[in-house]
Amino acid sequence: MREEQLRDILHHMPAGVVTLQGPELRFGFVNEAMRAVLGDGVREGQSIAEPAGLVPADLLEVMQQVYQSDRPFVAKSYCIPQPAADGQPPRLRYFDIALEPVHEGGGPVSGLLLFAVDVTVQEEARQRAHELSIETRRLDTRLRVLTETVPQITFTINAEGKFEYVSPQWYYFTGQPPTTDLNAIWPLLIHPDDRLRVLYQADTARASGIGWNFEYRLRRHDGQYRWLLSRALPEFLAPDKPVFWHGALTEIHDQRELSEALRQGEAELRFLADSIPELIWTATSDGFIDYYNQFTGEYTGLTQEELGPTGWINLLEPSEQAGAARRWVQSIATGEPYESLCRMRRHDGHYRWHIIRARQLTDTRGPRWFGACTDVDDQHRLREVLQTQYDELARTNRDLDTFVYTASHDLKQPLLNLRGLFDELRRTATFHDPEDAKIQGMVDGALTQLDATLQELAATVQDQRGLTAPAEALDLRSVAEEVLLGLRAQVQDIGAAVELDFEAVPTLTYGRANLRSILHNLLSNALKFADAERTPLVRVQSQLTEAGRPVLRVEDNGLGMVLPDNSTAVFQPFTRQHPHIAGAGVGMYLVQRIVTSRGGHLDVASTVGEGTTFTIYWFD
Amino acid sequence: MIHIVYMSRAVRPLSDEDLQALLGQCRDDNARRNVTGVLFYSHGHIAQLIEGEPEILEPLFDKISRDGRHSDVRKLVDKRIATRSFSEWSMAFHPLEPTGFEALEGFLLPHKLTAPPSTLTIADAMLVDLVRLAVFGPETMPAEHVESVHA
Repeated sequence: MREEQLRDILHHMPAGVVTLQGPELRFGFVNEAMRAVLGDGVREGQSIAEPAGLVPADLLEVMQQVYQSDRPFVAKSYCIPQPAADGQPPRLRYFDIALEPVHEGGGPVSGLLLFAVDVTVQEEARQRAHELSIETRRLDTRLRVLTETVPQITFTINAEGKFEYVSPQWYYFTGQPPTTDLNAIWPLLIHPDDRLRVLYQADTARASGIGWNFEYRLRRHDGQYRWLLSRALPEFLAPDKPVFWHGALTEIHDQRELSEALRQGEAELRFLADSIPELIWTATSDGFIDYYNQFTGEYTGLTQEELGPTGWINLLEPSEQAGAARRWVQSIATGEPYESLCRMRRHDGHYRWHIIRARQLTDTRGPRWFGACTDVDDQHRLREVLQTQYDELARTNRDLDTFVYTASHDLKQPLLNLRGLFDELRRTATFHDPEDAKIQGMVDGALTQLDATLQELAATVQDQRGLTAPAEALDLRSVAEEVLLGLRAQVQDIGAAVELDFEAVPTLTYGRANLRSILHNLLSNALKFADAERTPLVRVQSQLTEAGRPVLRVEDNGLGMVLPDNSTAVFQPFTRQHPHIAGAGVGMYLVQRIVTSRGGHLDVASTVGEGTTFTIYWFD
Repeated sequence: MIHIVYMSRAVRPLSDEDLQALLGQCRDDNARRNVTGVLFYSHGHIAQLIEGEPEILEPLFDKISRDGRHSDVRKLVDKRIATRSFSEWSMAFHPLEPTGFEALEGFLLPHKLTAPPSTLTIADAMLVDLVRLAVFGPETMPAEHVESVHA
């Protein structure tokens, strides 16, 4: 009864139980669990080795050795492939197998007892864990390689604020030995000005369980402090309970320096713009003003808000607003520079003339406009005054010319009458006193001089008008001969010899009337101031200067004169070098005027008793 | 009475249907609240001038600036005016399919826009010209247009 019970228990045990008898290891008792493993083909009394492949060869061998050696054996996680069923791949099953020699009746080994406990699930779990740990190691390696390759310093800090890990870049950066006490040294490497702030911010972030993002300076291996960006995020094991902060330090020194330089540059430019006593402003690409300098506020008495993006138009003199607005819209549409001359209202309501100029700058930050309004009020008013004065002078000058011309013309007739009357008087009246004849001669001389003066005055005005005559290519010789023809009487009177030499420069581009006037005056002067002691000789010669410019020399062997220190005084009107010789004194003044108005100058050299040489530099 | 001018960018391009719906809705709302003005739209660029009583316009602009359909709202002008310059509220844009739009009330083709009304100050008229230039570009700005305004 007890054996029955025992058999029943064994039969239903979840582990496989089988007894093998005799050296052939024949099946004795095989429980249900064991049948499930070995299959249905197992019959009592059959040798375990008989159905080939039922038990793997190595297990079979071990069984035989246990039988012979009489020593139990346990195999852990032994794999027994289950036969494939219905096209399914064979499933690997794992068993803990215990082999126990059986001594029937206390004699020698008579059989084996085999227990097989199915550990497939455990084994599979173990294998999965193994694979996972390999994968974890692989990921860990990858993470480490990445962490140590990126330029950033990476770190992990625990909840107490102690460093758990810092990547090797930290050691490269700081130059600290690997044995350094990180927690002690790190705060000391932070720039003294940043230290307290950094420690406080990191502490606060840890206390509130949040990440951080701040910048500070850390001392590099060369002693230089470099700006770093520190960013870290907490890792939570349970909600609201961060245990680690993982983060990275990025060097942002250059960017920071650059943006600092930009900020400073901008501040300096703004300061510069605010210091200039001119209205300076900038506008967006759309043409809306977004900055007015300080002086604009001072000048207009309005704030940037009051002026607004287009309010500057309101500052202009009302009649100029529309035109300025039109030009500005035009400039914005085309990108062409803006320029206008406008009156701008000052804070006291007074309008001042300004030149408004604006240009478009196109760079990577997109187009913008830069403008300035320059106060030109004083210049503008001065120019207006000068223009008025100039106009007045020109008019006066014209009036004067007309007056002189009219006067000389109008005086001519009375003079003719006077001469006629005087001649008539001389013819009809009888003078007895010898002094009378002298007086007659003096009256005659005075009349002749008055006539000459009137003629020369008229000529001055006429020549003045001729100054503006167009220039043409003139043959010097033919003009000179024409002039000499007019002076033939004087030449013959004094028996003068006149030499003309135009070999070097035969033609001259000049106003014809002007050239004639110049030659006439110079030649008649030379003849007039001839020295009675010798045969008068007048030499007219055209030459080229070293610079290749034409000159004309008129040389005489006449009386000569004492030149004043300032030779230009010679050419002032009504200046007469030889008061005993008749003349109005306007001749040389005329020559001088013509020559200088056409861009040249007149030179004179003279020795008393030897002669005078005039040189005309036609063009300077 | 005040007027407000602003510019902004549409978050995404507006289709003909969007624009037509906007036109209808705004015209009704604005007519009811006695708000007049003009809206320019082209390729995501928006500019609008609105005029009306401050107690209407200020909350309206507040609502406009918080509207999710556009961003970068830039207020250019917000100031007191003596008189209204627009008789109604209208919209100017280039529909992809212009047929049918031309008959729509309150719709204007950009190149058919008239010059800013002469009741505006020259500075404000120039501002309207500039926003129009910014939205539609120089092509739709007839050269003689500005001249005729201020002449």
